This record gives sequence, C-alpha cells and structure tokens, in this order.
Amino acid sequence: MSPDNVQVPEWAWYYIAVYFFVAGTSAGAYFIGAMEELFSSAKEREVSRAACYVAFPLLLLVPIPLIADLGRPGRFWHLFIYNQGGYPYLNLQSPMSVGSWVLLVFGVCTLLSFLDNLVADRVISFPLFSRYYNRIPRKLYALVGSLAGFFIAGYTGVLLNVTARPFWAATSPLMGALFLVSGASTGAAAISLYLIWRQRNAGQEVARLESFDRALMISELLLIAVLLVLAGHTAQLLLTLPFLVIFWLGAVALGIAAPLWFKYRSRRQHFGGVPHLAHYLCILAGGLLLRISLLQAGQL
Amino acid sequence: MAKGMFIDTTICTGCKSCQVACKQWNGLAAEPAHFGKRSGVTYPVADNFTGDSYDNTGSLSATDWRHVRFIEQIDEQRREKRWLFSSDSCKHCSDAGCLNACPTKAIVRTDLGNVVVQQETCIGCKFCIPSCPYGVISFSEESGTVHKCTLCNDRIHNGLGTACAKACPTGSIRFGEVADLRRRADARLAQLKGKGEKAQIYGYEEADGLKVFYLFTDRPGVYGQPEHPIVPQRRLVLCSLVTILTALGIGVAALVNFRERLNGKEEHHES
Repeated sequence: MSPDNVQVPEWAWYYIAVYFFVAGTSAGAYFIGAMEELFSSAKEREVSRAACYVAFPLLLLVPIPLIADLGRPGRFWHLFIYNQGGYPYLNLQSPMSVGSWVLLVFGVCTLLSFLDNLVADRVISFPLFSRYYNRIPRKLYALVGSLAGFFIAGYTGVLLNVTARPFWAATSPLMGALFLVSGASTGAAAISLYLIWRQRNAGQEVARLESFDRALMISELLLIAVLLVLAGHTAQLLLTLPFLVIFWLGAVALGIAAPLWFKYRSRRQHFGGVPHLAHYLCILAGGLLLRISLLQAGQL
Repeated sequence: MAKGMFIDTTICTGCKSCQVACKQWNGLAAEPAHFGKRSGVTYPVADNFTGDSYDNTGSLSATDWRHVRFIEQIDEQRREKRWLFSSDSCKHCSDAGCLNACPTKAIVRTDLGNVVVQQETCIGCKFCIPSCPYGVISFSEESGTVHKCTLCNDRIHNGLGTACAKACPTGSIRFGEVADLRRRADARLAQLKGKGEKAQIYGYEEADGLKVFYLFTDRPGVYGQPEHPIVPQRRLVLCSLVTILTALGIGVAALVNFRERLNGKEEHHES
C-alpha cells in the first residue's frame, strides 16, 4: 500500500499525542491504584490514594486537547448524541466512538475515587457524601474504573492500528499493547512523583511499585522491538531526523533504558527506596516522546 | 437497487470535463494557489501546482471530488511512450472504512447504496481520513468538516445520473444500477481480452465490492490505486484481543506485586 493512496489526518501532535499521553498516564495511575485497593492490605493505601489524586486532575485536562483538535469543537457532543435523531449513538466499529463513552465512565469512576479520598482524608466534608461514603461500593468503582482505565490506555493505540496509514497499519496489532504498557509505566511514575511531592515515604508499597514498573519497562522495550520488526520498511522514517532524537534518544534511551539501568544499579547498590525526581521525570518525558514519535511517523 | 458507476479507462481521453462538471454541479471552489518564494526564482511560484504534468490537481481533496489522473510513461530512451488516464473519485465501498470509523454517524449510506457525509453532523475529528484505503476523504479548513464525492446524491435521488457521467463525452464514465454496469464491464473485459489485451476489472472484490469500479489495462498500482486495499476496521478484533491479553498480563503482574491482601487472608484462614 503506497502512502500516496491514504491521506494524512494531520492530527497536531500537541493536541493528540498530548491527549494520548495524559489520558494514558491518568488511566495507568488509576488502575495501579485500583489494583492496590483490590489486592493489598487495608492499611496500605498510600499508592492507591496517590493514584486517585493523580488520575482525576489529569483526566480533567483530557477533553481540552481532544476538543481543541476538532474542526468543529462546538459540536463535540455529537460524539454521544446523534444530532439528527436526538438519541445516544455508539459505533462499536469505531475505537473513537467507544473510547468517548468509556472516557465518560472512567471520568465518573475517577471522580468518585477522588471524592472518596478527599472525604477519607478529611479535606472536604460533604455531609451527605460523608454519611454514605462507607456504604458506596468503593471496590466496585475501583474495578469498573480499572477496566475502563485499561481501555483508555490501550484504545488510543488500537485507534492508530485500525487506519490505512502504512506505518500504523504495519504495526498492527501491537500499538494498543505498547500504549497500554507505556500508560501503566507513566502512571506508576506519576504516582511516585506525587508521593515525592507530598513527601510520603510509603516504604514497602513504593518498593512494590518499583518492581512492577521495572517489569513494565522491560515489556515496553520488548514490545518496541517486535513492533519495529513488524513495521519493516515503513519504520525507516524512525532512522531519520528528528525521529533519531525524539524516538531513539528520547523515548527509548532516556524514557526507558536509562531509568531501567538506574533501577538496576540502585537495586545492586542498595539505594532502593530513595526516590529520584529526575528518574521519574525521564519516564514521563519518554512516554510523551514515544507517543509524539509514533503519531508523527505515521503522518509523514 | 444500488446505483454506481463503471469507469472504462480505455476510452478516457483525459479531457477533464468530469472534473469541471463535478465542480460546477456541487458548487466546489477551485483549489486556491499557494504562492511562495523559491530560492533562485525571482517571481512567486504556486507550491500546490503539480507543474510536471497535465494533471492539474494531483489528488482528490475537499474541493476536488473528482480527479483525472494522467499516467505518463516514457521509456529511458524516450522512444516508447504511453499515456493512461483514470478518472478517480470516491468508490462508495460496500464495506466503507470511512463510515465504519465515523464516531458521530456523520457518514451514512443512503437507500441507493452511496456513502455521503452529513455536513451538519460532522465534528471534524478526521478519523475517517486515514481510515479510507483509497485516500478519498479530505478535510476542509474552511468548513471544519470532511468532504468527498456524494455520487451526486441530490441528482440520483431525483432520477438523474451523476454530473460527471453526464458530461463524459466518450462514455468512459457510465452511471446506472450496479448489476447492469457489471454486465457491461464483463462484456467489455471479454472484448478486450479477445483482442489479446491485458485488462482487469478493479472493484469486484475490494472492500466487499465497490459501487464505483474500473476497467484497467495495467496493475491497479499504475493507476494510483492500492493493489490490495484492506478495510482497516477488519483488524479491530485482532488488535483488541492482543490489547486485552496485554491488559491481563499487566493485571497478573499487578496481582503478583499487590497480593498482600490475598496472602493475609490465607494466613488468617490457616490460623
């Protein structure tokens, strides 16, 4: 398939790749928090709490780039309601349509978890919410929210795979898997950054988060390797400027390999448990650059 | 009864009357020239003019719903030459990638089988653009929505043929019921093959059958059409399955890491 055959959507990276990154990080953070909520001891809630405080504010940013990139931003509500019939509309064949609805569900779950933690931490006190919050099935929306989070982090990659642009099509079916793993990794980094900012040393919990993130980053490297093999000659663009810098140097070396090496080194030298700001910032920057490079490489 | 068009490229003369008729009937503006300075040239040059062919538009766009492609083949010794023409437009696929991708139901199929964009519903998300394997659908900065050939939706729902078919002086573009057009295409193909010419019909199998199909005398790629177009949404199930499996993998990894509660419960039961 020649690139001449398929037109370029000209999605602006500063809207769409940033949306992919923010939504993926929010979703990744939330499902890590939900996992601790569901499977960890009742005393250990630092990661879960941090995840809720990270996921919802990040999600608030999501609609801004998404709507800004539309040619007719004022009509964004057409994603949910068919304007000519006035009834709700969902197209199961369109990842964008399903993604819009799941974003709503995810938004509700992150909001509930956010409020739940604010009440538990006595930051706010809604008399009605406070009275009933213990009865609200926290685990239910942690479960629904984590499933929605998995979807949000992954569907953005699937959306690219189910187009006819040569690079995106050639990387099928791995883009969703890569974005999902990357979302979990950047989510874990965002939680760690929050814990550093709040100066909370969660000890055992952070150690578990670190080992989880290590596994994610190794998986991410493997997925990138297989994805490039699948992409074949369509990935040649990644060997030219500026992708040599933003993909290889930024996303792979700075965003994955360097933090992974640092984790390995600190483990060997028993630095464990000491959080390093730059380390997490590198993971976050790498996640953003990964999405920018994969989005742009498909559009050139 | 599905309506469509049969484009017999062997009798196209590249006159572009179809391009002009399409623009006139649909009220489409001419593509504005984008003049810019070029190094070594003292006067401004239009960057979007092809400049190396009688093909003046280069591709389909939001204001060029029909494009006559000039395929100029000259051998290295510049002795043998061949010109092919192909009047390209939306194929109105039976399994349309653009329609599948649309999240707002802006792209719909009518009772006559043609695929149209409802301008008042489109939000300009542009997801349909890379979802069309033929590169047909285009975004207009002016309207903030996408545009493409409608198969002259207004004309055909009033018993008229398409404007391009009406204007075609050689009968290269035929409008009618798809079944009738296929019979005509098969007969023409048999005639050409009888003369020993290499010919093929493009559009019977692709995307479950194109409502606008072509008679080519060379590979589809020569005419700028994908050799094996794939409706991209057919990858959706596989991509989703792999992503779900990855999610399960991450879930298991998280379970291994955050399993303290389960261990705690087991210990509690043992005691």
